[in-house]
Amino acid sequence: MTWLYHPLQIPLGLIVWGMWFIALYSGLSVGCAIGPPDAAAGPWNWLNIVLGGASLATVALLLGLSALCWRASRRVGKDERAKRFIARVGASVHLVAVLATLFIALPIVGLPPCV
Amino acid sequence: MIDGRPDELHQQFEEVWGNPRGWRAATIVNHTRIGLLFLLTGLGFFIFGGLLAMLIRAQLALPDQTFMDADTYNQVFTMHGTVMMFLFAVPMMEGLAVYLIPKMLGARDLVFPRLSALGYWCYLFGGLILAASLFLELAPDAGWFMYTPLSSLPYSPGVNSDFWLLGITFVEISAVTAAVELVVAILRARAPGMTLQRMPLYAWYILTMAMMIVLGFPPLILGSILLELERAAGMAFFDVARGGDPILWQHLFWLFGHPEVYIIFLPAAGLVSTVLPVFARRPIVGYRWVVVAVLTTGFISFALWVHHMFTVGIPHLAQAFFSAASMLVAIPTGVQVFSWLATLWLGRPVYHVPMLWLFGFLVIFVAGGLTGVMLALVPFNWQVHDTQFVVAHLHYVLVGGMFFPLVAAVYYWLPHFSGRMPSARLGRWGFWLVFGGFNLTFLVMHWTGLLGMPRRAYTYAPGLGWDVPNLVSSIGSFIMAIGIATVLVDVLLHFRFGVRAAPNPWHADTLEWATRLPPAAYNFISLPTVDSRYPLWDQPELAKKMARGEQGLATVAHGRRETWGTDAVTGEVREIIHLPGNTWLPFAVALVLSVVCIGLLVKAYAVASFATVVAAILVLRWSWENGAHEESGIGVPVSAGDPPLHWRTHDGPGRWGMGVTLLADGALYAALLFGWFYLWTVAPQWQVPAQSPLDARGLLANALLLSAATLWLRRVLAALRRGSDKGLCGQLAAVAALGLLQSAHLLWLMYTSDLAPKGTAHDAVIAVVLGYALFHCVLAGIAIALQAWRVHYGYVDRAAPYEPIVLGQLWYYNLGVMWSAYVALVLFPSTWGGV
Repeated sequence: MTWLYHPLQIPLGLIVWGMWFIALYSGLSVGCAIGPPDAAAGPWNWLNIVLGGASLATVALLLGLSALCWRASRRVGKDERAKRFIARVGASVHLVAVLATLFIALPIVGLPPCV
Repeated sequence: MIDGRPDELHQQFEEVWGNPRGWRAATIVNHTRIGLLFLLTGLGFFIFGGLLAMLIRAQLALPDQTFMDADTYNQVFTMHGTVMMFLFAVPMMEGLAVYLIPKMLGARDLVFPRLSALGYWCYLFGGLILAASLFLELAPDAGWFMYTPLSSLPYSPGVNSDFWLLGITFVEISAVTAAVELVVAILRARAPGMTLQRMPLYAWYILTMAMMIVLGFPPLILGSILLELERAAGMAFFDVARGGDPILWQHLFWLFGHPEVYIIFLPAAGLVSTVLPVFARRPIVGYRWVVVAVLTTGFISFALWVHHMFTVGIPHLAQAFFSAASMLVAIPTGVQVFSWLATLWLGRPVYHVPMLWLFGFLVIFVAGGLTGVMLALVPFNWQVHDTQFVVAHLHYVLVGGMFFPLVAAVYYWLPHFSGRMPSARLGRWGFWLVFGGFNLTFLVMHWTGLLGMPRRAYTYAPGLGWDVPNLVSSIGSFIMAIGIATVLVDVLLHFRFGVRAAPNPWHADTLEWATRLPPAAYNFISLPTVDSRYPLWDQPELAKKMARGEQGLATVAHGRRETWGTDAVTGEVREIIHLPGNTWLPFAVALVLSVVCIGLLVKAYAVASFATVVAAILVLRWSWENGAHEESGIGVPVSAGDPPLHWRTHDGPGRWGMGVTLLADGALYAALLFGWFYLWTVAPQWQVPAQSPLDARGLLANALLLSAATLWLRRVLAALRRGSDKGLCGQLAAVAALGLLQSAHLLWLMYTSDLAPKGTAHDAVIAVVLGYALFHCVLAGIAIALQAWRVHYGYVDRAAPYEPIVLGQLWYYNLGVMWSAYVALVLFPSTWGGV
């Protein structure tokens, strides 16, 4: 599990979040271009369900990675502070990314996508 | 290792690192001088931009003013915004980082000093070209974000917009080069023992800022290139009638423009996180939380750009995503604010002049942040869009968030620049005048905006309720100007009358206070090993030991400029970074590039082309004076027990620099592909030809040819890593020949295609994608041919294998570009109703 102490763990959560955000916005735009759902149907339509599902999957991935980082931070010895720092900051950043994903995705359950 | 007594050592170091005087000062590359030049030039542009602000406020002080006509006013407000954002705020923050970062990290210089110098000269020349436009009455006049179609040729037929597009792109070279430099220096040239968690917080802020520049500036550089191609060459990108879309410009601009706000704010917040704990006399509260908050701010700031475009007709759900992200970004900023408050609360604060400016920062920036949250709400945003409310908000954020911390920092580091302490009395007067004047100007401006006054209106009729607030704002702005003048006078006078500064006069914790005041060009005669996050607090004898030459790398008899290269995570020493000395090359390249810029402006394309060739030759010469070249001082080996020079390894700073540069390059290419897919999806009159203008099989063959050349290079590099340089010269020459053959084939494909880039946006984007690929392939081919030549001269071999390995990354990148271009241009259209 040495990859959990790699310095890329520090920004990884927010990189995943960034990719999700790009997918969310471009997915919405492409979805509206190829098959816009009926606005009268409200928020429960194929496009919102796809976007919401992708968001929940991202949250699950980020939560898992955060937990792994946190456990990794507890495994290192006292003289391995650099490793502990990376794992702890990584766990925190993944958690921040979870909150950011949930908060930004929240409008999916309240608004139709293409109006 | 100590060669002699400290005074003798200083003398020896001065001989190798010293700065020449007179006209040869243009050859100086060391970070202290370049950083100071950035700061002084930034100050000059700040005064210029400030005078333009005074003109604006004089015009708006009373209704129906005829002080300026509409055309002049348009030029003045456009130049005020442009100068303050591009020629003051970003260069000032980067300049301060260029000055401080190596000292804080315990290094002698940045890792690519010639690049720093190139960045500075590009900034100076580009800024002067842009500023000259105002005196020629040809200044840009379409607003600092240059929206199309207003900035397009039919509506801005003069060269005004061209000055902006070419001048700003030229200046942005400076921003990106400094960013690459800072990222690599922070990751690879820290003091031994300075692990990631011991890095000064300022370095975290600058690392984040620099990465944001690397990823955030390229979309605007691309947008500027496309708009200039549309204006000068008639290509179609933003013209609806030919399948383009003006909204694409807004996306490209704000993809840069919103991160830009945080690119300015984060380093300023880094200054706060550095200065405030020193005066609170305790370490900052929540170091790790602040690191997480800084990273979070950096990332989330890239997801806010559409909140500048809420009124262009984007679906409500998309607006809600960006609205939520815009609110969210306040949270990590809040974490930092609470960390600063907690540090003050738990510390034993002492109040010197810098603390006053930090107090002003906290009050004004928090207020600006709150109106930012208001503007994140879509209905409110619609109401105040393009009104003076937005102008007031952005000044609260930018002046509060950048200018106040900057002045605090100037006062704090004045002893560094002059060896003297600032005066308290004039400093306090200056602060209160600026603080009072600022709030009088911009607090009232919120009200003007809520009363409905639009921004950028050159005058207004009386009786609309705007007379009094405008007059109050104008009076406030002149009070603020008097305050700024007071600060400038105070700073000037202190050089003559300030009390001599003692070593580390504020009792700070960071290593820049271990230098002489003012510092020598080489910073330290011996480089420290640190075992703490606060080295000067926890190792009180460290500065004296460094000055006595009792720490690392205290030898210069070999005549080389050197600093440690350390591991990015652990801070363990890996190699000695061998730095270049003073040279005319950066100045000359920037000068020739300014000829290119002016040539394009006046449409003297032959001159511009010739200057481009000269610039390319100079850059190749630059790359020649590297590594084992005889002018690099390679005669004397490193001391026994020391690690090798970086160009004798496989992984020096150049490899990291190439990686970060390619990230910036990749961001530009990604923005280009974004434009392609964007236009396919939403351009109102997108036009696809009945027959594809491209030879699909030819393009596939071309990509395969590049793949073969790259795989061959990969084998050569793998052998070199294993220590074998058998047939190196011939193999590199063969790879170069294959690469240049592929470039020629690509050029032939473009020449024989049916592309009509002036006819449709479809063909224009294809032409730019192929042109981008061609430029990179030619560059890679020439660069590897040069390596073959260097092998012939003995500058590259198994003992000096570094440079071809650095270049390998460019070839892999080009391969990615070619194949992604094939997918985007040939395979994608057939899935989306095209050919």
